[in-house]
Amino acid sequence: MSQALEPLQSFLSNLVHTPLFGLLLTLVIYQLSLWFYDFCGRRAFVHPVAVSSATIAMVLKFSGVSYGNYVDANQLIYFLLGPTTVALAVPLYREFHHIRKLALPVVVTVVIGGVFAAASAVTIAWLMGANEQTLLSLAPKSVTTPIAIGIASNIGALPTLTTGVVVFTGVIGVLLSPVVFFLLQLRDPRLQGIVLGLNAHGVGTARSFEINPTTGAFATLAMGLTGTFTALTLPYLVTLF
Amino acid sequence: MLKGLIVLLLFQLSGEALVALTGTPIPGPVIGMLLLWLALSLKSGPSNDLSNTSQAMIQNLSLFFLPAGVGLFFLPASIQKYWPAVAAAMIAGTFISMMFSGWLVKRLARGGNSL
Repeated sequence: MSQALEPLQSFLSNLVHTPLFGLLLTLVIYQLSLWFYDFCGRRAFVHPVAVSSATIAMVLKFSGVSYGNYVDANQLIYFLLGPTTVALAVPLYREFHHIRKLALPVVVTVVIGGVFAAASAVTIAWLMGANEQTLLSLAPKSVTTPIAIGIASNIGALPTLTTGVVVFTGVIGVLLSPVVFFLLQLRDPRLQGIVLGLNAHGVGTARSFEINPTTGAFATLAMGLTGTFTALTLPYLVTLF
Repeated sequence: MLKGLIVLLLFQLSGEALVALTGTPIPGPVIGMLLLWLALSLKSGPSNDLSNTSQAMIQNLSLFFLPAGVGLFFLPASIQKYWPAVAAAMIAGTFISMMFSGWLVKRLARGGNSL
């Protein structure tokens, strides 16, 4: 009996180190988290990215697969962030007539709000005694992942920490958004999109498209502008300290 | 689907090429997005194929962040002791920052053009 199971065992122990396992793990857990998200009425606190990344981390720890192996297996998924960023040009083009009317408030908010987002995170962590590398890794936290990675390597931050922080900042931003919109009595879908795109980048933008296409377009715009502005200024600001 | 994907990848490639030529810190995909936006304005609108592909990809945007998000659970030991500071910066920092930008944009957008 145990002899018959041996090939199966060795198949399974080899399988966990193949790209097939890592890729399938991401897709299956994400699909389950999406069903769970729908089941809970699409409430922000069961955001699929938070639920599935915690679940995947647990599976990896139990199966003894290293994070490096997992990331290698998921290069394809990670790569798709690039063309999807390009694809955001389509909703941006479609909603441009809305955007043009609010161009000035959007640009001013992004410039001041973008600096504020980086400064508030770094200040809080500094007050709590974080070291320099941690502080540097936190600075691009509100910037969309592909930009944040570029900035992180420019300023000497730790890319793993930066990307993790960026993704969870997005999730937390989406989670806090109902509270913030209620406290500020912010009901205009366009302004909601700006707040989500500025603070919660791609994760906030994905959430904004669930609210409505105009909210999504404004989030896209705010995300793109925040990323561009931060990429252009942060490497120079860091050298001042 | 295929034609749309080719268009997106070609614009990403143009973006990457511009980055390599100019040495700007803005990433290739973001430049690609701006170039595509410009192209769409010039030819007045996307094809059906591009429009469908873009929509399908944007719907799964959250998924593409997942491998990076898992990384937060696998930090080196030298960083792990700063975990409370990182968590506070992410939660309190994001809340303060959202309240501030929300307040600011509401103030600036006041005066007419409501939806």
